This record gives sequence, C-alpha cells and structure tokens, in this order.
Amino acid sequence: MLKVVDETKKAFLTGNETIAWAALAAGADIMFGYPITPQNEVMHYWTRLAPRYGREFLQTEDEISAGFTVCGAVQAGKKAFTATAGPGNVLMQEPFGMAEAMRLPLFAIIQQRGGPSSGTVIYSQQEVALTTYGGNGEGYRIVYSSASHQEIYDYTIKGFNMAWKYRWPTFLLGDGYQAKMREPLEMYDPEEKGIKIEPTYPLVGLPGKIGEDREPQHLCNIYSLEEELYDVVMKLSAEYESIAPEIIEWQEHHCEDADIIILTHGIVSRAADDAVKALRAQGIKAGYFRPITLRPYPAQQLRDAIAKSGAKTLLVAESSYGQFERLTKQEIYGETIKMEHLYMPGVGIIDYDIISKVKSVL
Amino acid sequence: MSLVRVALAGEGGQGVQSVAEILAEAAYNENKQAIYIPNFGLEQRGGVSIAFIQVSDERIGAPKFNKADVVIAMSERAVGRTAGYSDSNTLFVYDDGFNVDAEELPAEAKQIIGLPAVNTANEELHPRVFNVIIMGAVIGLTNMVTFEAAKNALVNKLGHKFENNPDLRELNFKALEIGKRMAEEALREGVAK
Repeated sequence: MLKVVDETKKAFLTGNETIAWAALAAGADIMFGYPITPQNEVMHYWTRLAPRYGREFLQTEDEISAGFTVCGAVQAGKKAFTATAGPGNVLMQEPFGMAEAMRLPLFAIIQQRGGPSSGTVIYSQQEVALTTYGGNGEGYRIVYSSASHQEIYDYTIKGFNMAWKYRWPTFLLGDGYQAKMREPLEMYDPEEKGIKIEPTYPLVGLPGKIGEDREPQHLCNIYSLEEELYDVVMKLSAEYESIAPEIIEWQEHHCEDADIIILTHGIVSRAADDAVKALRAQGIKAGYFRPITLRPYPAQQLRDAIAKSGAKTLLVAESSYGQFERLTKQEIYGETIKMEHLYMPGVGIIDYDIISKVKSVL
Repeated sequence: MSLVRVALAGEGGQGVQSVAEILAEAAYNENKQAIYIPNFGLEQRGGVSIAFIQVSDERIGAPKFNKADVVIAMSERAVGRTAGYSDSNTLFVYDDGFNVDAEELPAEAKQIIGLPAVNTANEELHPRVFNVIIMGAVIGLTNMVTFEAAKNALVNKLGHKFENNPDLRELNFKALEIGKRMAEEALREGVAK
C-alpha cells in the first residue's frame, strides 16, 4: 500500500480535511457517504485523495444505505467508514444498531449540527444522546469526543483500530466548528509512531466446511425467541462492560484542590481549559475534567476526582440542553456534589461564559 | 505575541473568507498558533459573510469569540451586523465612503476608523484588490503577521494567477502595502486626536 505520510509533518487544515488524511493514514479502504453539512468536505477530500492511494468511495442514495453499505463492507473484511451529521445521524441509527447486534467494526464520524430536526447546519453538541445511546439497543458503542485537529487525526486512526480490535461500532464525535475551522496539527504515519494497525479480516465467506473445518459464523441481528435474544444481550453487555476499562479515556487537571470542577467535553473543553487558567489566576480554585470517551464514560475517574478534591460544586457546560449532564448523572449516581449547569444549545461557549457562570454559582 | 482576534465581514463574493484564510495561513507559516473559522449557514450567497481569525504564540481556546481586537466591515450591511463584536478595546474599521447611520456604528470601540479603501481600489488600483487592501489594513492594525509572510501567503494562494499575468503580482503587493500604510496612518491620527 502506498504510504500516505512519508515523514511526520506539520499541516494547517480544516477538521474535515484532517479526517480524510487520517482515514488514509489508517489504511481505510472505502468510504460510503451521503452529503450533509457540516461533514461534506470529509467526502470531498476523500474523493479527491482516495484514488491516488487506490482507495474507493461510493455515494449512496441516503444515509440509511450509507450505514448499511459500511456494515456490508466490513463483513467483507474492508476497512470502511462513513461520516454524517444531524438528521443523517438519526437515519444511520438503524445500521449502527445492526453493527452493535452483529459486532461489526464500523467506524463513523459525526460532525454535530444544531437540532432538533434540520436545526442549523452550523454547530452544536446535541448529538450526544443519539451517538452514545441511539437506536433500539443498549449503547454498545465506543464514542470519542475530540477537541482539536490533532485529536481528530489521532482518534480517527485510533477509532479504526478500536473498531477492529474490539468489534464494537466506534465513533468520532466532532462538531461543525471542528469540521470547518483551520488549525495546525502534526500528521504522521501511525506505524512510524509505533501504533499497531489492527488487521482486517472477512467475517463471512470464510474457507472450510462448516461443521467439519470450522464453526458456523453466526452474525445475527434477529432471533425467534425472547430467551435467545435475552442471552445474546446479556452476553453483549458482559463483554462490553469487561472491555470498558481498557477503552475509557479522560483528561483532568487542577482537580486536587478544586472547589469547583468544570466538566465539559469536545471543543467546549478548550474554553474550560482557558477558564480554569483565568479563574486560578484570580485565586478561584477551579478544576478541569473532560471525558474523551463519552461511551464508555470515565465514571470512576470522575468520582475519584470529586473525592480527592473535596469540591463542593460540579459545573457542567455544554452546547446542548442537558444531554451531557444527563449522561453524567446516570454515571455518577449517588454522588452528593452540587451540580450546576451552563446550557448553550446550538451555540459556541467561550471562556468568558464559563468564568461568568462559575462566579455566579460560587 | 499575545492573542489577536479579528472579525472580517462583507458580502459574499468580496473575498472575506479568502483574505481570512490567507492571513491565517501566513500566521501558521510563521510558526504561530492560528485558527480561522468562517461563519457558514444555509445561504450560499447574498448574506453577510463573517470570518473569525485568531493568532497567538500560545494554544488558542474556543474557535469563535464575542469581542474582537479588530473588526473590519467591508460592506454597508456588514457594519450593523458586526457592531456587536466591538467593545472598548476594539478597533472598528469600515470604509469612509459607506453610507452608514451613526446608530449602526458600535456603541463601544477603542477607535472607529474610516478607511478610503473602496475609493483607493477603484481610483488608484483595481476594484478587485479591495480585499487585499483590507488584508494590508489588518496587518497595519495588528502586526499579526509580518508583511513578508503576508506576501508569501498571497503568492501561495494566487501564484497561478500571477504566473499568467505578472502585473497582478505587483498590483496585489501594492494593494497590500497601501492598505497597511492606510491603517497605520489612521492609528497615528487616532492617537493624535
């Protein structure tokens, strides 16, 4: 395979362009997609770049089909992915659910836009609930919420790897700002950095006679009996829970002595980081906690941060109306820390917003 | 260099986003941290287009901001649309040929600057380099990138056009220089007042 990034180099790109490069560097074979703002340029850049490296693209008739063609391609052993947003993410819940049921190594990029419905084409963090627990299942998903173009590059590569290593559908949750803004990052060849690229393999059409040479490959998303499904779901749950500790990622700083912990994810955590610096400079003991994986959620890590700090207040700031706070509450049930929130659905949050909120609740 | 925040606004087709992209690219090429984000919506044309640029030596936080160090309104409609980005630390720039009611100008600004950019472009250069005059003005007001870096970034972006028509290179460089000087003079006058 033709090398995509010969040597580590700096680049100044949009987030969507970064995804296309990272997918190439990760060895993705094919993208299936259907246009929707703000992810369109993932497709644009991919279609421009992919032929140079012998990779492929198919535009499907809608998002349902884009999701299912990814489900099909990964069963054929192809490293396949898609990208969508907003109503497209809603439509893809059906194939995402299939990927959960059949343990398919599907990888999808979600660039959140405003909702409900078509909302705006611009920005939000309103696809948290949908991306973590969407579909008629139990949320067997790995969801990375990125905050910079470097992370977009890193976690796109990692996302493919985790999908193929653990065989759960895996998501990079970005947003319209990250999609469209330009900022510097470092592009690298993953193997040069010592990152092992997980091998792909076909899940169907395997050699050998069933019953003699091998067990049947049972990729199933429908069962005749309630009890059958019960057994499957209990097994899936146990498997998901057992690997969760290996997958969980988070960032924290200044929590040791914090009076208030600011909890954010994704791009809002950049504003939180600045806010903590500014508040500390003013003598206010603020701490920073950010789940990188929203699913599985770093629940124990957040509980530990609350315990060691003795903080009185947990401030949740998000560009949605409580989706992230609800996700957090179910994960840290029983904690008695006072919770405050800054909900700014569909609009950006800057350090000033968080600083003002902190001062109003302390 | 500490953080510099610039909001550029104008009509679709005026080259607002191109100028912002070239400036951000120039800053990046000087090893600065830079973020550029366009506002984007459903309208492909006909609306006021805004570009948000931030340049710093240190890691930059949120991609958008509420108040800018410099706001440049490149059209009459853009004046009212961007007045809200101005506070007592902001240099608010518009064209002195615009027909703008006083109440559309920002209530708060460090200095409100009217530049003869449209007129200069039309009379002395070419209407199409109006946006490059504005780019020069951003540099004159902020020093967010060096003049050389801006020239190089222009060449990167427009090099193929310059090759086809070498006069364009000189025209653009001249526009950049005039814009920078225009802004520097306005700043000096502002201090003198």
